[in-house]
This record gives sequence, C-alpha cells and structure tokens, in this order.
Amino acid sequence: MIIIIRNVIALIAFSSALIFGTAGIIGLFRFPDPYSKLQAGSLCGTTAVFSIFMGSLALAPNWAIAGRIIIICFFFLLSSPTGAHIVARFAWQSNIVPWKPAARNRRRGKNKNNGNKQEPLQ
Amino acid sequence: MKFLMIDIMQWFLFVCALFCIIRLITGRTAADKLTGLNVLSGVVLAFLVLRGVRHGTALFLDVALVYDILGFLGFLAIAHFLKDNISGEVENEETEE
Repeated sequence: MIIIIRNVIALIAFSSALIFGTAGIIGLFRFPDPYSKLQAGSLCGTTAVFSIFMGSLALAPNWAIAGRIIIICFFFLLSSPTGAHIVARFAWQSNIVPWKPAARNRRRGKNKNNGNKQEPLQ
Repeated sequence: MKFLMIDIMQWFLFVCALFCIIRLITGRTAADKLTGLNVLSGVVLAFLVLRGVRHGTALFLDVALVYDILGFLGFLAIAHFLKDNISGEVENEETEE
C-alpha cells in the first residue's frame, strides 16, 4: 500500500517535471531576448529539477538517501534563483534592452518621450 | 514501475542537457550562454540525484551536493569575470570615440 502511494506521488512529480522541462527548453530556444529566455530557463532549471527532487524523495530506498536529498533541496533553493538573479543583473548591466513588440513600441514612442529607454542600474 | 520511471526521467534529463549544451555553444550574447550554463548545472544535479536513487548508493548524492556548491561558486566567478571584461571594453570604446 505504502509502495503504491509513493509510486503515485513520484509519478505526479515526474510528470510535472516532464511538462515544465519541455516548456523551459522550448522557451530557451524560442524567446527573443535574454530576460525572457532567463524566465524560461528558470522554469526548466528550478521548477523541473525541484519536482524531480520531490519525486526521488518519495522513491528513496532508505533514510540516508532521503536526508541527503533534503539537504540538496535546501542548497539548490538557495543557489539556483541566486544564479538566475546574477545572470539578469549581468544582462542589465551590459546594456541589453528588453524586447518589445514593434507596433506597441511605435505607439509608445508617440505618447511618451523615450518611454522604452531605460537607464542601467549603477 | 519505480525503475522504469527513473530511467525515463534520466533519458529526459540527458536530452535536456544536450539542448542546454547546444544553447551554450550557439548562444549569441554572453547572457544567453550564461542562461544555458545555469540550466545545465541544475539538470546535471537532478541527473546525479536520480542516479543515486536508482542504484541505492549515497555516493552519487554526496557528489551532487559538492557539485551544487562548487558549480555555484564557479558560476559566480564566470559572471564576475565577464562583467569586468565588458565594463573594460565599454570604457575603451568611450575613450576611442
């Protein structure tokens, strides 16, 4: 009974990891600018990997492995969003302008003066 | 059932890692490449954890923990180095103009 419950939990976690991972990889190749690529990459790199951790935690054969997976989860939740933040800050400081649709860009240019120009953070 | 699921996820992560390496090589700007590297480190970490659970050995999980910490430090160093490089180039261009 317990084995069936653990298998079902792992199946749900692995299915969500498949969906999130596929969406993240597609977005990593199809999105136009580094910021949206970073969003898709975080989807694949954090959510899918964390779902895999949850699934393998449900399937862990003994407590030694389960405890190590929990510690890895904590470190991963610290390090991966920080890495994504570092990439975003790096892209912002190297003056990459965020992508906008062409028509909307024109309209904004008439309404506001230099509405899409953004100064980089110091 | 259990081993079948873990094997399928291992192959999926392998394909993900291949795509990340393609992105890492063919990315146009440095930010694209760093995004690929960030995703690649997480995918390899998940692969190591899955392999440890599959074989029931805790050794893979120790390696995964150390890989996470050292990979994050290396990533930070690469980002810092690239930032210095780019700001140096910008200063040079401004002085040339």
